[in-house]
Amino acid sequence: MPLIKRWIEIFGAIDFISVGMLLSVVAMSSSKRIESCLKAYVINSWLLALLMAAFAVYLSIPHLYIAAFFTIAGKCVLIPYFLRKVIGELKVTREVEPYLSTPVSLIISFALVVLVYSFIAGGIFVAGAARNVLKISVSIILISLFTMMNRKKAVTQVMGLLFMENGLFLAGFSLTYGMPTIIELGVLFDMMMGVMILGVFLTQIKKSFVSVDLDKLTSLKG
Amino acid sequence: MGMSNLQFLIIILLSPLLQGIIRKMKAYAQGRIGPGVLQPYWDLARLFRKDMVISEAASWIFHATPFIVFLSTMAASLMVPVTTPDAPVLAIGDIVALLYTLALGRFFLVLAGLDAGTAFGGEGSSREATVAILVEPMMMLAIFTAAVAGGSTKLSVISKSMHILDSPAHVLAFAAFFVALIADTGRIPVDNPDTHLELTMIHEGMVLEYSGRYLALLEWAHYMKQMLLFTIAIDLFFPYGIAGGALQSALFYAAKVLVLAAAVAATESSRAKLRFFQLPSLLGGAFVLSLLSLITFVMLGR
Repeated sequence: MPLIKRWIEIFGAIDFISVGMLLSVVAMSSSKRIESCLKAYVINSWLLALLMAAFAVYLSIPHLYIAAFFTIAGKCVLIPYFLRKVIGELKVTREVEPYLSTPVSLIISFALVVLVYSFIAGGIFVAGAARNVLKISVSIILISLFTMMNRKKAVTQVMGLLFMENGLFLAGFSLTYGMPTIIELGVLFDMMMGVMILGVFLTQIKKSFVSVDLDKLTSLKG
Repeated sequence: MGMSNLQFLIIILLSPLLQGIIRKMKAYAQGRIGPGVLQPYWDLARLFRKDMVISEAASWIFHATPFIVFLSTMAASLMVPVTTPDAPVLAIGDIVALLYTLALGRFFLVLAGLDAGTAFGGEGSSREATVAILVEPMMMLAIFTAAVAGGSTKLSVISKSMHILDSPAHVLAFAAFFVALIADTGRIPVDNPDTHLELTMIHEGMVLEYSGRYLALLEWAHYMKQMLLFTIAIDLFFPYGIAGGALQSALFYAAKVLVLAAAVAATESSRAKLRFFQLPSLLGGAFVLSLLSLITFVMLGR
């Protein structure tokens, strides 16, 4: 264990993993296919779990192992499985249909990161291992919020919501060094329920409007 | 200091070998045996012996370009530390000077493509210019990340100051640089080096009018540029082992070049060539990667 602890410190593993999470969100915000959004989400969740494990080793907080385990079970396995099933049932087209083109949304994502940095750099100071994680997690939240606004289809908006929750989780456990396990479990369970309800909701939208394009919801139906 | 003054010869003499090795790796990846690794040398030797056919419409630019391209690439290779951290001409050996020395050669190559007045030459030139505009800023940004981290724009100082991909910013910058390298050497997602198919060629289109000695010089310069970019990537992102003894650093250098060559060959065999109008989204994505690398460097402070 002390050896792994030293490795984490020498290689700056926490920085690397959190930048990896940021990168997967940027990839999601620019990808054209629903399938690659889902892949980005799985990668993001694995990195989140890895980061939790790294924190658990580095700061010797054993209950973060449990949180990491449930993150893997919930976010890396169950939610993607369920979402794939919903996408398969809805028979939506594979393209995500954003309002803005890929380069423009990439530039906006980058601008959001700069914005977050320029606001947080002077204001909030976090010491210790998590000093950089807060900036990255706020960037993740903002980029996924932007993605939700940018996409027409309900499925991809759900994806943005999931990414946002990952960002919130990251901010939560890096600031508090692990909330009580019961709260983490509760959040995870809420997330699962949320995704399921949204799945049912999507099927209902599809049934009554023939499409999951949310623009169509604004027109009246007689 | 003899070694450090002669290290640019490595790039000049071994660059056709590197091209042969990449071709061999590609051939293996595609299940072919492929030509021997020394084939580019035989090709160059054959071209040097052949006569030239020169268009009547060609001006002095057409005649000067092969020499300008070859000499500018050679001058650029003088500024690069290869097996010792000290480059031969340290006084002007700044990374910005290096890239724009290469850009001089590219500028004349574009002019020469237009000069002979053929449709394919002009097509190749306009495409090359478009790709160059997209590639240059991201390459500079990726390099600036390494330069800011190293505290200098001199390659020697940067290569002495770090080991292997020291921070997340370096990983992002390297990813962007790799895309720039692929685009600059005319490899597959951007350009196909193996065909003369009219509709898709970029580099081949520009040199279509050249034959004999001139073509040999241009091809050789192209190989040198490829090896030069590999060496820059190694100096900026993986300089570990460069400051050791002569033999040790040469071995390290060879291993790193081979790994990069394998990465390039793997990319080329596993990807399809992109349509020209899809290039901006690939290169734009890589540009954002390099922007992100700079901002993460500032954000994480390392």
